[in-house]
Amino acid sequence: MATTSKRVPVLFRPAPRLVRHVLLIAFGLFMLYPLLWMISSSIKPEELIFREPGLVPTEVTGANYTEGWAALKHTFGYYLWNSAVITVLAVVGNLLACSLAAYAFARLEFPLKKVWFAIMLGSIMLPHHVTVVPQYIMFAKFDWINTIWPIIAPKFLATDAFFIFLMVQFIRTLPRELDEAAAIDGAGHWRTFIRVIMPLCVPALATTAIFTFIWTWNDFFTQNLYLTNSDNLTVPVALRQFMDSSGESSWGPLFAMSIISLGPIFGFFLAGQKYLVRGMATTGLK
Amino acid sequence: MKIIKAATAITLLAISATACGSGGGGEAGESGGKTKVVFSYWGSDARQKLTESAIAAFEKKNPTIDIEGDFSDWDSYYEKLATKSAAGDAPDVMSIEIRGLAEYAGRGTLADLNGKVNTTDLDQDVLKAGQVEGKQFAIPTGVNTFPMIVNKATVEKAGEKVPDDTSWTWDDYIALSQKITEKGDGKVWGTEYNENPAFLQLYAAQRGEQFYKDGKIGLSEQTIKDWWTLLQKIISTKAGPDAAQMLETGTKVDQALLATNASAFGSWWSNQLTALSKGAGQDLDLLRMPKSEGATTAGMFLQPAMYYTISAKTEKADAAQKFVDFLVNDPEAGGILLSDRGMPTNAKVVTAIKDKLTPADQKVLTFIDSIKSELSPITVPPKGAMEMEDILKRATDSVLFGKATADDAAKAFITEANATLTK
Amino acid sequence: MTLSPATAGTTEVPVTPPEKVDPPDHRRIKSSRSRSQARAAYLFLAPWFIGLFAITLGPMIASLYLSFTDYSLLTEAKWVGWDNYVKMFTQDERFMTSLQVTTTYVVVSVPLQLAFALGLALVLDRGLRGLPFYRSVFYLPSLLGGSVAISILWRKIFGTDGIVNSFLGLFGYEGQGWVTSPDTALWTLIILHVWTFGAPMVIFLAGLRQIPQNLYEAASVDGAGRWRKFRSITLPLLTPIIFFNLVLEVIKSFQSFTQSFIVSGGNGGPVDSTLFYTLYLYIKGFKNYEMGYAAGMAWVLLLIIAVLTGVNFLMSRFWVFYGDDK
Repeated sequence: MATTSKRVPVLFRPAPRLVRHVLLIAFGLFMLYPLLWMISSSIKPEELIFREPGLVPTEVTGANYTEGWAALKHTFGYYLWNSAVITVLAVVGNLLACSLAAYAFARLEFPLKKVWFAIMLGSIMLPHHVTVVPQYIMFAKFDWINTIWPIIAPKFLATDAFFIFLMVQFIRTLPRELDEAAAIDGAGHWRTFIRVIMPLCVPALATTAIFTFIWTWNDFFTQNLYLTNSDNLTVPVALRQFMDSSGESSWGPLFAMSIISLGPIFGFFLAGQKYLVRGMATTGLK
Repeated sequence: MKIIKAATAITLLAISATACGSGGGGEAGESGGKTKVVFSYWGSDARQKLTESAIAAFEKKNPTIDIEGDFSDWDSYYEKLATKSAAGDAPDVMSIEIRGLAEYAGRGTLADLNGKVNTTDLDQDVLKAGQVEGKQFAIPTGVNTFPMIVNKATVEKAGEKVPDDTSWTWDDYIALSQKITEKGDGKVWGTEYNENPAFLQLYAAQRGEQFYKDGKIGLSEQTIKDWWTLLQKIISTKAGPDAAQMLETGTKVDQALLATNASAFGSWWSNQLTALSKGAGQDLDLLRMPKSEGATTAGMFLQPAMYYTISAKTEKADAAQKFVDFLVNDPEAGGILLSDRGMPTNAKVVTAIKDKLTPADQKVLTFIDSIKSELSPITVPPKGAMEMEDILKRATDSVLFGKATADDAAKAFITEANATLTK
Repeated sequence: MTLSPATAGTTEVPVTPPEKVDPPDHRRIKSSRSRSQARAAYLFLAPWFIGLFAITLGPMIASLYLSFTDYSLLTEAKWVGWDNYVKMFTQDERFMTSLQVTTTYVVVSVPLQLAFALGLALVLDRGLRGLPFYRSVFYLPSLLGGSVAISILWRKIFGTDGIVNSFLGLFGYEGQGWVTSPDTALWTLIILHVWTFGAPMVIFLAGLRQIPQNLYEAASVDGAGRWRKFRSITLPLLTPIIFFNLVLEVIKSFQSFTQSFIVSGGNGGPVDSTLFYTLYLYIKGFKNYEMGYAAGMAWVLLLIIAVLTGVNFLMSRFWVFYGDDK
């Protein structure tokens, strides 16, 4: 940060640093109140969570963590691992497939381009609740129930139009001269894509990776439907097992394991946001 | 290029990870020669644990059968079940509760279990609540009743006496609750209340009306309006909190006012007594519901907590029947499941597990015994009962929040609900 | 030069372009390569095409077919023609309610959320120690947004005993249960949506990082002030990203489901005040076993969103600036 501070756009008169920090921290606390409450509840004895709803626990215990970790058929680490596998594959799939498609939509001319683009956008406009039944029937015919394919295969086939559109928008901010310079140097589309466009799209790729990771990690709906065997459960599905809206929920373990399951996504976000860096375009065009 | 290298590395890592993952998951090629039966149910982790050990006990006795528990949380349960049924992939044994029974039975998705599962030791009246059009599509797992639950300590702390539940009236209940609220320092309410149709059902039964009659709403407009007046009176006398606060906690047993020692009375399903007592950290007790002036019955009834059903399309009917039979008739299963799916109605099971029940559940058992002679009959609600509940809730809320007059809301409710039920 | 953002209607000093490159003749290059380009395009699009035809399109068409049937999920679908659509617009009051609730939600929360996201992205883009930390902190609520615990957490803020009421209590105002009151419930969901501004914020941040720094340097040399730089560099160069966020947030907000489902307990209450369109669709399909009707609703929603998106795209010609514009 410090080394680039001279170059960053300076939009506002710099308020004294301390003031800015105080404001940001105050706002942050406000934003985080629910999370703080959840953390505080996760270290209270379970029966006190609603009886003593204040933010400061009168009694501290790690029981929710130890109980929650071991409460289900497998230890919670097992579900974390299942989720990690699916999530990492989804990230790879989306990065590969969506960037390829985005390059074509952003840079290449082909017949019916606008129609295909509209269809692509249209595919995310239909609420998934009505496609889920036909889709389930289809995946059942493929014999894909209780495998990771209903979750992974769509990613490798670029069905997340959100990310295609995202990358199209990013690629389109890049000047054409770049491609054309590469073309004059004799580079084909593949090389232009790999050597010129992708390196300049690191922020977009990082964004895609971050969101794919988070959304897949949190995606309860698909995983609940397709991974039903108790050995195949993932984190969001496992978390719901602490909750029974028709009866008694295990709030203590639910809060504790929710916090643990925030860890990986938060970590990935921290790691990923480093790549929200200025690409080569920031220092001039070569 | 760095990026390509990184991507390749990640891909390789991921592929090796799946290899391990699926190896550990072990879903492929299992159950060599065993009959696999899928059993779907909902609940929380506690129920899952109990169910898994019951399954283990069953598999030990029946080594050729492999039961696979398909577990969901309640909110997504029917959605998943409907999707799977639509795809012809319905679980062999399905848990269903009373509002969904007619839906599934009426559309031919369930098998008739008459003579397929031994039901001789079960409570025969309750068993009827598993019949649709004369066929035994469902076996009740156990029963609940909908009593008034009281925190005696709170009542006594307010200098009041716990009422005699065989004679108390709605007016007594409100007056007492109001006094408790007054002495509660703004921290304790006299009572909490809810919009549960079971509450209205009881209230109507006290006037000799049935909730459903001939597949339609059997309630009179007046009864519905009087019930709303009752709720409004609780609010206006400050015997209980306002409607917005009540909606916050009204269906959440863990956050109930009773469970947080913030009220003296509240009505809940009897199998929630353990949870309420645990939350309160105190003993709670069960009472009959208050009566309307001049009513001869409190309208108490027993309702199956849920049912075991078997898919009409299953190819493993024998194994599935054996499993259901085990769950409802075998004392070993009863000893594991206890009152988790309602109080068992199999007399033999009850005798066997009596001592294992929690103190709260023993109270429930005693209470159920004490009201056995005065029960109102129950019937399976017609198709659309699930939607009816939402319609009732909407009408009730619109009255309590002053969005509609009781007259209009009652008329609208009956028309709308009947349209749904006869659809 | 395509890079210099010539914003219309301003009298500002044009920012000096970083370097001069003669624009190549697009047309000539294009015509000579159009064939190979189309071939290359189909190769690049191959995974997407496979996905479209093998996974996406089938279920979509199936749902379109179902929208003309009476389909209970548990029994066979029966063809009923336009019945579902007719019923929707002539008999179903709740359908209209859900449309109205959702429109209010979209119209209010999308601009607010985007303004928040953009504002914070701008603040967090600048050199201040600990920025990655702040960014993460502001992103955290978005991670929680769809969590199963959110209904409890939301009640801790807007419930009868929540912090909002504690705060109001300081001023002697006795608050109510905001989440469960029909007049305010929708507004708490709108705030919940604004509160999870993390996703568009991150996209804005990525977009800001894509803006060539030398433009700012050149502008400084020309003596442009901070506001001028924002108006003539940051804002125009960020328009494709603003556009993206706008289009996507409109689509996503129209489809909002989880928040209302979790906070209202799945029925859109109290008194239908949070009955989102997709929630009603879900209730119809999976609770009332009218999947045909639900499918019809889905296609009506698709049409609504498609028209809005189309308008968005048409409008974008007037305000969105692309680096590859000719």
